[in-house]
Amino acid sequence: MNDRAAGRSVVGMIEIEHLTKRYGKKTAVDDLTFAVKPGVVTGFLGPNGAGKSTTMRAIVGLDAPTSGLARVNGKHYSEFRSPLTEVGALLEAKSVHAGRSAYKHLLALARTHGIPTKRVHEVIDLVGLHEVAGKRVGGFSLGMGQRLGIAVALLGDPAVLILDEPVNGLDPDGVKWIRLLLKGLASEGRTVFLSSHLMSELAQTAEHLIVIGQGKLLADTTVDDFVSGNGKARVRVVSPDAARLAEHLAGPGITIASPERGVLDVSGTEAAVVGQTAAAHGLVLHELRTDRGSLEDAFMQLTADAVEYRQTMEGAK
Amino acid sequence: MTAAAMTERPAYAPPQQYRLTFVGELRSEWTKLWSLRSTWIVLLCAVVFSGGLGALISASVPDEAAVGGADAALSFAMAGVSLSSVFVAVLGILTITGEYTTGSIRSTLSAAPKRLGMLFSKALVFGAVVAVLFTAMVFATFFMSQALLSGTEIGGVSLGDEGVLRALFGYVGMIVYLALLAIAIGAILRNSAGSIGFYVGVIMILPQLATLLPWEWVSDVVPYAPGNVPNTIAVVDTSMGTLGLGESWLWMGIWLVVAYGLAGVLLKRRDV
Repeated sequence: MNDRAAGRSVVGMIEIEHLTKRYGKKTAVDDLTFAVKPGVVTGFLGPNGAGKSTTMRAIVGLDAPTSGLARVNGKHYSEFRSPLTEVGALLEAKSVHAGRSAYKHLLALARTHGIPTKRVHEVIDLVGLHEVAGKRVGGFSLGMGQRLGIAVALLGDPAVLILDEPVNGLDPDGVKWIRLLLKGLASEGRTVFLSSHLMSELAQTAEHLIVIGQGKLLADTTVDDFVSGNGKARVRVVSPDAARLAEHLAGPGITIASPERGVLDVSGTEAAVVGQTAAAHGLVLHELRTDRGSLEDAFMQLTADAVEYRQTMEGAK
Repeated sequence: MTAAAMTERPAYAPPQQYRLTFVGELRSEWTKLWSLRSTWIVLLCAVVFSGGLGALISASVPDEAAVGGADAALSFAMAGVSLSSVFVAVLGILTITGEYTTGSIRSTLSAAPKRLGMLFSKALVFGAVVAVLFTAMVFATFFMSQALLSGTEIGGVSLGDEGVLRALFGYVGMIVYLALLAIAIGAILRNSAGSIGFYVGVIMILPQLATLLPWEWVSDVVPYAPGNVPNTIAVVDTSMGTLGLGESWLWMGIWLVVAYGLAGVLLKRRDV
């Protein structure tokens, strides 16, 4: 936002401003505002039906917003003279005619922009579809379909990549491959915006996170801050004097659980405090460590809160 | 704001030499049309039916039935061509509804987000293909039929005879018109079965059935139905029809403007 206020335009910036999309009575996206910056992989996280795909479709102009704006480089997608080199999108795995070969599908798209066949062969090799490029897409596996979708997104060598669930259907090798590919593309200064419901996958790929639930923005932060801010960091202590230690640790804001005899999970304090408390009372410790909490925990907690909040609001009406 | 992440890395500059153009969209639609097996199969059916049925009927006309003017000769010869318009219309519908049913429309309109270029390039490419193919078929069928009818009363029709050349091109015009109308119907309804049903039911059959209705106004209106307006352009003696030659072309234009106007507005407004 600061960049726009200063009158600078950032190449590859995706800006969503007060975006609302309703389908009949159902509100898919509700007054969503965020920006996606170039140079980093930004994850778009939310449970199924949160409005991720709708937002992405709005960015490439397939769905018209009920209100608000979705822009790239300050322009609406349809204003671009060369859409495929500005934004490459993988929206749904099967956005291809089942009766057409992968090569012809790519060729037909390339021809709209005068992109040479050489580039078509390049992206086919890049995604590893060389051997099946001449075959009809109807016989493709989900993973092959995803690779073709990624080839389509890369066809114009675009500044911005928008990928809806690109990992879906890929085998472990494919997942690793796409993770490296996306990081590489971002390091070239491109904008990479990918959605996923696989929190663990985003944790390993994305630096920044946009989290939505029920069409509303829940978080716009870095992955690290997200985990430490929302994950329940807790201290695990293994001690033969667990019961006595618990007595000494107890205090306001501190919760102590004992999953098994001699083990304590302490939250609301830090490992250093637990260690000092034990030392001050001469208690033996066998183990003392901090569990950071996973992105998944953080995500579940955040979305659970959102659902709860919504239900409370509706109950109050 | 992680400003550091933005300033550390140089901005990426996408390739500058590519542009979305209408010529590019035409080439894209050409590639899409010929890369589907259904195109080849349906057009082959159209060719076989136009030529085969024209030959079969011309060869089996009993001498006593082979009477009348050039129009009788042409109606025997072009029976298959007229029937083939159904194949062409179905293929025209599928060029656009196939994109919606398979989801490839999302790829297409991501590459060409102004949308109207897609509709008009599809219509132009398919219309041109049909025009070329059916010019060849209409003339081939005409000469074949005349060879088979030689010796009968209607065997001596020549291209030089008044109105014959015009009527033969009229058949081509009629089929191109129906093909274009079919694409617009497909763009409006976006569903293969619905569009084909609408074309066969409303464009082809309804005007014929309507003539059986007892109300007089119906028979006044029927000649102006979208499926009937091209009738006059495909006959040698144009004095018989309700519509004159010029009116016939005018009404074909009107219906195409109406159909493409509606298709265009809906294409712009609807979500994909």
